[in-house]
Amino acid sequence: MKSLLKYLSPFAPDLAGAVSVLFELDGVIVICDAGGCTGNICGFDEPRWFTHKSALFSAGLRDMDAILGRDRMLADKLIAAAKISSRKFMAVIGSPVPAVIATDFPALQRMCQKALDIPVMALEASGTKYYEVGAAQSYITLFKTFAVEALPVKSGTIGVLGATPLDYSTLEAAKVIRKHLTGDVRIYGMGGTLDDVAKASEVEKNIVVSPAGLKAAEYLKKSFNTPYEIAAPGIADELEIGDLSGKRVLIVHQNFAALELKKRILKEYPDAEVATGSFFNAVSKDADFKFNSEEDFRKVFAENSFDVVYADRAFERIVHNIYKGSWVDFPHFAVSGKLLEEL
Amino acid sequence: MSNTAFYITAKNLAELGKNNIPSELLSGKNLVYSSPATLAFNSPGAQGFGVKRAGLAVPESVMLLVSPGCCGRNTAALGRDRKYADRFYYLLQDDTDIVTGRHLNRIPEAVKEICSSRPVPPKAVMICITCVDALLGTDMERVCRKCSEAAGVPVVPCYMYALTREGRLPPMASVRRSVYSLLKKRPKKSNACNLLGYFSPLADECELYKLLQSVGVKNIRELSRMQSFEEYELMAEANFNLVLNSEARYAAQDMSKKLEIPFIELNNLHRIDKIHAQYMALAQALNVTLDDEKFYSESAKIIKNFKDKFGNLRFAVGEWLNADSFELALSLAEMGLQVNEIYGTIGESNFVYLKKLAAISPATKVYSNLSPTMLYYDKREAKIDFAIGQDAMYYHADKPGIKWNSEVRQFGYQAVNDLFSAIGEVLQ
Repeated sequence: MKSLLKYLSPFAPDLAGAVSVLFELDGVIVICDAGGCTGNICGFDEPRWFTHKSALFSAGLRDMDAILGRDRMLADKLIAAAKISSRKFMAVIGSPVPAVIATDFPALQRMCQKALDIPVMALEASGTKYYEVGAAQSYITLFKTFAVEALPVKSGTIGVLGATPLDYSTLEAAKVIRKHLTGDVRIYGMGGTLDDVAKASEVEKNIVVSPAGLKAAEYLKKSFNTPYEIAAPGIADELEIGDLSGKRVLIVHQNFAALELKKRILKEYPDAEVATGSFFNAVSKDADFKFNSEEDFRKVFAENSFDVVYADRAFERIVHNIYKGSWVDFPHFAVSGKLLEEL
Repeated sequence: MSNTAFYITAKNLAELGKNNIPSELLSGKNLVYSSPATLAFNSPGAQGFGVKRAGLAVPESVMLLVSPGCCGRNTAALGRDRKYADRFYYLLQDDTDIVTGRHLNRIPEAVKEICSSRPVPPKAVMICITCVDALLGTDMERVCRKCSEAAGVPVVPCYMYALTREGRLPPMASVRRSVYSLLKKRPKKSNACNLLGYFSPLADECELYKLLQSVGVKNIRELSRMQSFEEYELMAEANFNLVLNSEARYAAQDMSKKLEIPFIELNNLHRIDKIHAQYMALAQALNVTLDDEKFYSESAKIIKNFKDKFGNLRFAVGEWLNADSFELALSLAEMGLQVNEIYGTIGESNFVYLKKLAAISPATKVYSNLSPTMLYYDKREAKIDFAIGQDAMYYHADKPGIKWNSEVRQFGYQAVNDLFSAIGEVLQ
């Protein structure tokens, strides 16, 4: 059964992706839920939350709120929290409850915006999609809201889109990326500021490090003619590559990370046969394998003989009794929730 | 807006009365601030027992979580624990499912597939459903019957309805009912009783075991100590149930009705005169004599020694701990210790403690972890020497403290002894 997970836990959801982009940008973030979704994000999917004080709230929805659709009451609570918090923007992020009762997020946004003098963004997550969908929505909404002015391009400035702990699996992602880039590097969402977002039009080019940043890169290209490149600098730095000469290799991660590692392997071992696969990135055509279920994943292993697999260890359970080659842990926080720092 | 955390003194709060609690202290009146101090409120399972982990308290059971992916996300952490690693399954709902409920047709097939995929079939399948099915009005009892027919094992629903947290049957009360619902009526044994309330056992040294054994109750069963499903089934032969946590009351009521096991409720108290009174009331209810003199004296001695050494300490008491914050604060105050701050949720059940506290410690400040104003909590304004509770330790990370929320549960005199011993250890 495609929707049944027997070996894996669910991957990071859209609302976690949405939060990960906004988390460091000094806004009020409200998860429109009953509490559990907020707990999942704070206690699990947003590792920065334990060390970085943030104005993150749960709407604390209760059954009667959902049944009666008390949006006015919710808007009043949102407005009050935004006023107390004195932050630069407010983002209201959906969850399964508003998805079921069809909360009118644009209306909620307008109700709050009327009473507040900071920008209010509404992001309709449902908890049923993967993190990349929510992250992409966050980037787009951020740039549409704040990057409204076409500024002169500054030579030597680079924007980085798509960097979050969910993909880079480390709290040091900004440091890792900076090691590989020179110039004035602005990593939106990790180490970057809201001012960097507002001045997005002045960067010379954008680097898109995960598919979550791709739509925003296209938007910025269309709006400000900013070119972009796809690369995931440093994401596979920690991996040791043994002798892969003539070996059949499979890399499983988000597509850009997988391609980065593939590039590195082929540079050292041009005769290696390297395939990539992902459970994510439905829009990307780069992967050799697209897994929609545990069954798909297992089938690929049954039909192909790989010598070496680079993938998060969480996937190993699916094929433990049919795959006998070597497995190199390529952690993906959005899958296993493990940071490189924990390994 | 002033940038200060809202608080009210115990005296002022008591004067306002339980019907006029300020809105800043009521979770339903504001957004819920999410800091590391509120993690246990938003997500009890993040650290400790939430519905998912609690549902697996039934030995040899497995759980199928039917939900959008986000609801099962933090279970990845639980899955690293060998005890749970291969016992969680997920049936993911998509956007169409959460509106139409079409996923319900897939559940029996999923249960069947799970059972047949295991080397040994599970003894029970717990199906955990979430806010989505609460809103869809899913008749889960019916779905479980269909699953049971399809897979040939007992199937029980666990309701992880965060939406009903402050309702008549909150999720953690409901799951307690679920985990005992598989018991079937058996002949009673006069020397057997169950301790209900927790998903982990009482500390082995707890005097409750000794007191019960002293009056001939030899088989004292707790769900968390049951190693097999067969052992679990023996819980149905209990002569009576002791409810140690009010969230197990509904389960006890069910067992009383279905299995004809009567129950007695005991509170987790920290004032030794009250603990003594409670044991005497228990003795009366059981029509036996309980001699707790030895335990009482030992605790009294420990309290005295502690006060002699550390009597001038000023405490902050949180709510992320194995106690009611207001009862514990009152107990400390009645022992002559100073409690300057409480981070807790005040309501009908614990207002009685607050009123007593107001009489002896009127200036104690009462905060709510959940209030959005806690964004501005400033520890520099607090005169605190020691923090009790994981949340209190978050606010006062630079001060000594104890989390007091271990999985092994403390109760009665032993809780008092362990509390002061733990504080003493940290201070020394």
